[in-house]
Amino acid sequence: MIPDWMKEVDVGPCRCSAVYHGKKGFVGKTIDGIFSFLQEAFVSETYAKRDGLLQGLDPRAKLISILAVIFATSMIGDLYLLIIVYLLTLLFAYLSKVDVLFFIKRVWLFIPIFAGIIALPMVFNVFFPGDPLILLAYLGPGVHIGPFSLPDSIFITKQGVNLAVIFTMRVATCVSAVVLLFITTPQQVLFKSLRSVGVPKIYVLTLEMAYRYIFLLMDMVREMYAAKKARTIKSRSMFEEQKWVGGRMGYTLIRSIDMSEKVHMAMMSRGFNGDVKVMQQFKMKNRDYFAVAAAISLSVLLVLIAQDFIRV
Amino acid sequence: MDTIFDLRNISYSYVGKINALKDISLKINRGEQVSIIGTNGSGKSTLLAILNGLIYPTSGDFYAFDNQITEDVFDAIKDNEFRSYFRTKVGFVFQNSDVQLFSPTVYEEIAFGPLQLDVPPEEVKHRVEDVLEIMEITKLRDRSPHTLSGGEKKKVCIATVLVNNPDVLLLDEPTAGLDPRTQLWLVEFLQELGRSGKTVITATHDLETIEQISKRAIVMGEDHGVKVDGETVKVLDDMALLLSVNLIHEHMHIHGKTVHEHLHAHGKEKEHAHQHLT
Repeated sequence: MIPDWMKEVDVGPCRCSAVYHGKKGFVGKTIDGIFSFLQEAFVSETYAKRDGLLQGLDPRAKLISILAVIFATSMIGDLYLLIIVYLLTLLFAYLSKVDVLFFIKRVWLFIPIFAGIIALPMVFNVFFPGDPLILLAYLGPGVHIGPFSLPDSIFITKQGVNLAVIFTMRVATCVSAVVLLFITTPQQVLFKSLRSVGVPKIYVLTLEMAYRYIFLLMDMVREMYAAKKARTIKSRSMFEEQKWVGGRMGYTLIRSIDMSEKVHMAMMSRGFNGDVKVMQQFKMKNRDYFAVAAAISLSVLLVLIAQDFIRV
Repeated sequence: MDTIFDLRNISYSYVGKINALKDISLKINRGEQVSIIGTNGSGKSTLLAILNGLIYPTSGDFYAFDNQITEDVFDAIKDNEFRSYFRTKVGFVFQNSDVQLFSPTVYEEIAFGPLQLDVPPEEVKHRVEDVLEIMEITKLRDRSPHTLSGGEKKKVCIATVLVNNPDVLLLDEPTAGLDPRTQLWLVEFLQELGRSGKTVITATHDLETIEQISKRAIVMGEDHGVKVDGETVKVLDDMALLLSVNLIHEHMHIHGKTVHEHLHAHGKEKEHAHQHLT
C-alpha cells in the first residue's frame, strides 16, 4: 500500500548535535508575548477571588465609586493632592490583599507608553515657553526648520516639567483606580456591572462573548504555530515568516466569522431572537451604599479643592 | 403515532453550489430513537440543522409539529409563538462544543436557554441546580468554558439543552472525542431519555453506539441522499450496504453484535485466517 520511498528507515546515529543558534524568530516571540500577557490576566483573576476589602463590595458599587474618583482626579491640578490620591489607591490595593509591588509595576508599565510620550514635548521650550531649568543647546538667533523658526536656545522649562509630572501622575492615579477595579473583580461580573451605569445589555453580552472567544482564537493561533513549528525543517527568511503570519491572520478571521455564525445558530437554537434576557443576580448591601457614598463624598471634596472652593 | 418532523423532497446546497442534501423525504414520529449515519461530509449535520430550523431547505418542504417551517415565518424578529414553542420542544447539541458555550460561566450558560424562553427567574435557578446535579457537574458551575476539558464541555452542552426540557433531542456526533467512560455514560443517559418518551435523533458514524441508542437508522449515502431507512439491527447486518456507503472497511468484522475493527497491521506471526466481508 505504501510507496517504496516511505519504506526507507534511517537507522544510523544522528550526525549532528543541538547547539545554540541565536535568537528566537519574531513570530515565536510575539506569540509568547501575547500568551504571557494572557497568563497575567489569569493571575490577576486570582486576586479577584481573594477575600479583601474591594472584593467584598458589589461590583456596581465599585464601578460607580471608581468612576467618581477618576472623574475627580482628572480635575485635580495640584501635585501633592494627586500623590495623596495615588497613595490611597495603593492603600486600597493593600487592603484588598493585592501584592502592592505587582500592582505598582502593572500600572507603571503602561504609563511611559501612554502618558510619557504625550507629556514629553511639554517640557521643552520649543512647544511651550517657560523659565529655563536645564539648557540643552544654544542655537543662536534666526534658526529655522523649514517654515518653523526655533528659539535661540533649547531648554527644559520649569513649568513644562511641572505640567508633565502632574499630567503623568494624574494618568497614573486614574490607571491605578481602573486597575484596582479590574483586578479585584472577576471579569464576567465586571462586564455585568456595566449595565448599572446604563450600558445596554446587548453590548454587555457582546463584550462577554468577545472575552470568551479571545481565548479560543488564541488557542487556535497557538496550535497553528505549533503545527508549523513541528513541520519546519529549515528556518526561513523574515519575509517568508511575515507572509505566513499574514496568511494566518486572514485564515483566523475566516475561521472566526464561520464560528460566529455557528455561535449565533447555537443561540437561536436555545430561543435567542435578538433581544437577550439576563438574570440580575447582584444584591446591594449597606456597606455597598456606604462605599458609594464615601467615594462620591471624596470625589466632591477633591473637585472642590481642585476648583479652589476649599483651600488646603 | 404522531409525526413530529415531516421532510418532503428536501434538498440543500451551500451558496447554491455545494450540495449537502439531495431529495430527502422522511418522517420522524414522537418518541422515536433514530440514528442518522453516514460518512464525513454526507450531510448529517446539515440535516440536523434543518430539523432544528436553523437553516431552510433550498427546495422541498419541511413540516414540524404540523406547521411548515419557512424562513419568512421563522426568522422574523417579532415574537413568534410557534417559534418559542418549537425552541422549547427541540434541543440541539452541536458537534463543536465551543460554539455552544458562549457565556462567561457554566451557570450562566445553562441559565441562558430558559431565560430566553421567558421562564421566571426563580424557576430558572431551580432548574439549573437540578440539571447541574443530574449531569454531575455542580463543581463546574463557576468555571469559564475555556477552562473545561472536552468531556466536561460536552456535558455542559447537553445540560444547556436539557434545562429547557425538550421533547426532541438532536445530537451531532455526541460521542466524538469522549473517553470510553464518558461515552458509556452518555449512551446510558440517552437510553434513559428514550425510555422516558423523548425523541432522540443522533447523527453519528460511531457504529458501536448506534444499536444501543436507536431502533431506527437512516443511512446517508455519499451522494447526499437517504440510502436506507430501516431498523438499526437490520442496517447493521447489511454489510454490503455499509460497504457501499463507505462507512466500513472490508477488514471489519462483526463479533457478536458489535462491529469490530480488525486491522491487518500485525506481524506475520500473529496472522490468522478470517474471511473478508466481500
